[in-house]
Amino acid sequence: MKKYLLATAALAMAVSINHGVQAQAMAKPGEALDMVLLPKFLGILPFDQAHQGAQEAAKELENPTPLQFLGPTPENSVAGQIEITTNATTQGVAAIMISNNSGDQIVPAAKAAQEKGIAVVTWDSPIPSAEGEDVFVAQVDFSETGVVMADMALSILGEDGGKFAILSASPDAANQNAWNAAMKEALKGEKYAKLELLDTVYGNDQSEESYNQALALVDKYPDMELIMAPTSVGIVAAAKAMQDEDLCDTVKTSGLGVPSEMLAYTMNGCAPEFALWSFVDLGYLTYQTAYAIATGALKAEEGASFKAGRMGEYTITKDPTRDAGLRILMGPFSVYDKDNVEAAAK
Amino acid sequence: MSALGRLKSWEGLLLALLVIIVAVNIEHSPYYLGVGNIVNLFQLSIEKIIVALIMTLVIINGEIDLSVASVMGLAACVLAWLFEMGTPMPLAIVGGLLAGLAAGLFNGFWVAYVGLPSLAVTLAGLIGYRGIARILVEDHPIGNFPEWFNLVGQQPLIGPVTVSIVIFALLFVIIAITLHSSALGRLVYVIGNNLQAARYSGIRVRLVKMTLFGASGTIAALAGILYAARLGSVRGDMAAGFELDIITIVLLGGVSIFGGSGNLAGVGLSILVILNLRNGMGLASITGNTQTSVIGALLILSVLVPNMAQTISNKWNGRET
Repeated sequence: MKKYLLATAALAMAVSINHGVQAQAMAKPGEALDMVLLPKFLGILPFDQAHQGAQEAAKELENPTPLQFLGPTPENSVAGQIEITTNATTQGVAAIMISNNSGDQIVPAAKAAQEKGIAVVTWDSPIPSAEGEDVFVAQVDFSETGVVMADMALSILGEDGGKFAILSASPDAANQNAWNAAMKEALKGEKYAKLELLDTVYGNDQSEESYNQALALVDKYPDMELIMAPTSVGIVAAAKAMQDEDLCDTVKTSGLGVPSEMLAYTMNGCAPEFALWSFVDLGYLTYQTAYAIATGALKAEEGASFKAGRMGEYTITKDPTRDAGLRILMGPFSVYDKDNVEAAAK
Repeated sequence: MSALGRLKSWEGLLLALLVIIVAVNIEHSPYYLGVGNIVNLFQLSIEKIIVALIMTLVIINGEIDLSVASVMGLAACVLAWLFEMGTPMPLAIVGGLLAGLAAGLFNGFWVAYVGLPSLAVTLAGLIGYRGIARILVEDHPIGNFPEWFNLVGQQPLIGPVTVSIVIFALLFVIIAITLHSSALGRLVYVIGNNLQAARYSGIRVRLVKMTLFGASGTIAALAGILYAARLGSVRGDMAAGFELDIITIVLLGGVSIFGGSGNLAGVGLSILVILNLRNGMGLASITGNTQTSVIGALLILSVLVPNMAQTISNKWNGRET
């Protein structure tokens, strides 16, 4: 009996060691891999930040082949992403990292890349059907977005709560709608009982339109104390509108924003708190993931884990938002206020 | 210099440009001459170059059709909408083509019978047809088409050559014959050269214009359906903005924006120039705005050079007399 127990224990240990080894899976640095980072389009700050993070990872992994940062123009995003993916396949690169703006229309091109042995990793925005994609590096969990926004509202309005409105991007932006729905879901919690959501309006991610929508909210709801804008365009427009109208003392702004664009409004109290994930980290983690898959150190399957440099260990799981998809969840949010926004804005 | 001579020299210029681009591409990328790459080179822009063929006739006729990309989107969305409602795919394809024909004839009616400028009519079409397309599929992508439909867009048919490329080649021949050796082709030039004269000489101007706009709508719809098959999924914004690339190809081909002159050989060369240039830049990892600027610069030159040549030659002749 004792022997049996010992043997079992030894076996268990062996299994756990094996498991431990697998968990420690680390890509061997220094391999020359041609890798392409493909944003939705060029010329947008968050994508440049992701590029910066990917370059940092490339340097750490000592990949002698320079990272290619290729993207279409905004007007040509769909056809351009397909064209770049196809040309990268022709060139036989090792990995393509796509922030997908083409829905499932990218599938044939992505599949062709996979058939040629190219690692296809999506980030920021996945392939809806998950076909042609190895794994999606997700910035945050959609339901977490709702909780983070509800928490910020509570923190700004205080224990006594208050009334607020949402200034969103467009009525048909899938991610925005998911976040707003998640926030409404979170608001049902007892903790947020004193928060009252007045209205949801849309500024279509246009500065002028968002600015006017914010002012219209003030006119419509004199007792509103907060505008929550889960869009980096809307939040700046709302904060600017409140500042221009000298309303920052009575109506605060919060939501999802880029630190460098929000710095002034956070420091002068118009937008005391806002949140965002780090696009630098997202780019870094995406590169680490793609490199590990391309070198064979990481298999794109459920339960596989690997060490992503300075960001630590990550495990591939099923993506709860897509039936057939796999994801690596980066998280968590960074919440910015007076104390940390300056450092983040640099 | 005669008009004919100038045209010939324009094609000569395009041919020289093409030779340079091909040489640079061969020099630059070992992948360029691969069979797969040559097929992709056409395949990635195949829908645009199909529509450019019929656009050539429309512009030579002295008109323009800005609505083609929206008609492409409309046809794809009608097809997807019908398919989603349970219509068998072959019927859905017919539905898409008919939608294109109807859109084209609608444009043609206002231009030919009411006498409105095609720039205004088809600009309205660009907005209106896109609107209908977006209403039909709302904001959700429609996919999961039958396997054979996707294969039409993606799989080779003859050797490595895809269905779309075969359709392009056939259309090129048909339109070349129509334009350069048929009665209709001669009428297209005559009307484009001098609308009033054509009217007074009893040419059935309206019929010709209706035919061209109807054909433009139908071929744009065909291209839109091929695009849907190539991508395997349809969205409301399909092909948005393609009209500018299509018109660029035609103008670079030496077709006068004022109508009356140009030929299909020039447009064929222009297609090869732009496609090879795009592909070469893609393989050299030049994308985004840089690529757009290079092609934009090419178009500016294509408009400026012939006009400047004309001005200079006029001045020169003026000095002589």
